[in-house]
Amino acid sequence: MHYPHAPIRRLPVGLQRARAAELSAGRKRGRSLGEAISPFVLYTAIALGAIGVWMALPRRRVNPQLLGALVGAAALGLVLLGLGLKAAASETSQLPNIYFYVFSLIALGSCLRVITHQRPVYAALYFILAILASAGLYLILSAEFMAFALIIIYAGAILITYLFVIMLATQAPNEEQLESLSDYDATAREPLLATGVGFTLLAVLTSMLFTGTQSLPDTEAVLAGRNGDEVLADLPARVEEALIDAELIEAGQTIARDDHGQALIDPVARTATFETADGFVDVAWPSDLAAKNVESLAFDFLNRHPGTIEIAGIILLMAMLGAVVLSRRQVEIDEEAKAHQSRHLSVEDPA
Amino acid sequence: MIHMLSDITGLFVQTGYPEPMSTLTLNHFLFVSAAMFAMGLIGFLTRRNLIIMFLCTEMMFQAAGIALIAGSRFWLNHTGQSFVIFVLTVAAAEAALALALVVLLFRKRESLDAEQWNEMKG
Repeated sequence: MHYPHAPIRRLPVGLQRARAAELSAGRKRGRSLGEAISPFVLYTAIALGAIGVWMALPRRRVNPQLLGALVGAAALGLVLLGLGLKAAASETSQLPNIYFYVFSLIALGSCLRVITHQRPVYAALYFILAILASAGLYLILSAEFMAFALIIIYAGAILITYLFVIMLATQAPNEEQLESLSDYDATAREPLLATGVGFTLLAVLTSMLFTGTQSLPDTEAVLAGRNGDEVLADLPARVEEALIDAELIEAGQTIARDDHGQALIDPVARTATFETADGFVDVAWPSDLAAKNVESLAFDFLNRHPGTIEIAGIILLMAMLGAVVLSRRQVEIDEEAKAHQSRHLSVEDPA
Repeated sequence: MIHMLSDITGLFVQTGYPEPMSTLTLNHFLFVSAAMFAMGLIGFLTRRNLIIMFLCTEMMFQAAGIALIAGSRFWLNHTGQSFVIFVLTVAAAEAALALALVVLLFRKRESLDAEQWNEMKG
């Protein structure tokens, strides 16, 4: 069966590419903002942060941890203020996104506590806080599924395993030395050198702040992006449901299908084709119909990275086997027990 | 010097940009990611507790995850998010193996000090 007036479901590849380029050119809204922060402020702040982290690292005797944390926080505040003022200076009406600053302050502050806290259990708990703040950043970036997966997998599974091992592998202190810290927790190794290396790396990495920058695309662009629409072409039931909800079609009507059983949905024109008594009718989607984050992610995950999933499965299997082999206790069986066991087995086995 | 001064004043003076825009840029998130990565690196180098060292590698994974998600948002495709799933997979596998190793090492020396294993120099 052939539908002469049915819409083309997929554009030819060349046209698709041209359209994608056109869309992305329009969507990026090519607003070059210049550098995000002045080099002088950034490098001052990084030097300040290095001093703060160096002071906050654990050591015996004089311990300026609080002062170090304050200096580090001041440095971070300087950078964020610089970034925020630059963004505000380019704004006409909106304030900078306050949630970004809150979440990144919490994340980086608790990361500082992870590397400076002398008690491993507290370090792990602060890392959970850092994970939660990162999940907040993921939400700002409209990656809802990954935000909650992060909380469940990281904060819920991995970190609990860490806490278990910390508690397993920490000796219970004696009654008299209840407050004692083991030496390896109380002192840092090469604090000056490591801080220098780390913050030099940070300075090099953040040089990208001077190369000019572009604003993130608007949220509407994410919801109604090309990916979202293309995903909906493979989800005829969702389109039908949305059309019924919007009372554009009656319940029970289904989208017409071509010879290969593909639903006739045009993701570019945002229409679906229905067969009625008068022939084929194109119905436009309601404007708020868009693929959800988890739908788009699932299509990308399963369609475009099938081999990687296999590799991930193998990695997980290998890790599981490795962990079992590594942590299993060696059971010493003496000769008599072995002989007893083999006799036992041979009796049970009639062959 | 004059250039630096003008940079500083430029920070606090409203410089007019032609049109309004969304508030956050990719660079904001890349900065947070880079700072988190650097702190994980410092922690890995300075801490002597084996468990905290592995916790710091997890922190570096997390920093990579933020950069991937920000890229996914910036270029409006979901590949970055898919790869965060794989990063999580590798992080979970690494945690399982590392913690098994830590338990093994702890049984041998009754200590979590990385310096106890100094003789393993390559």
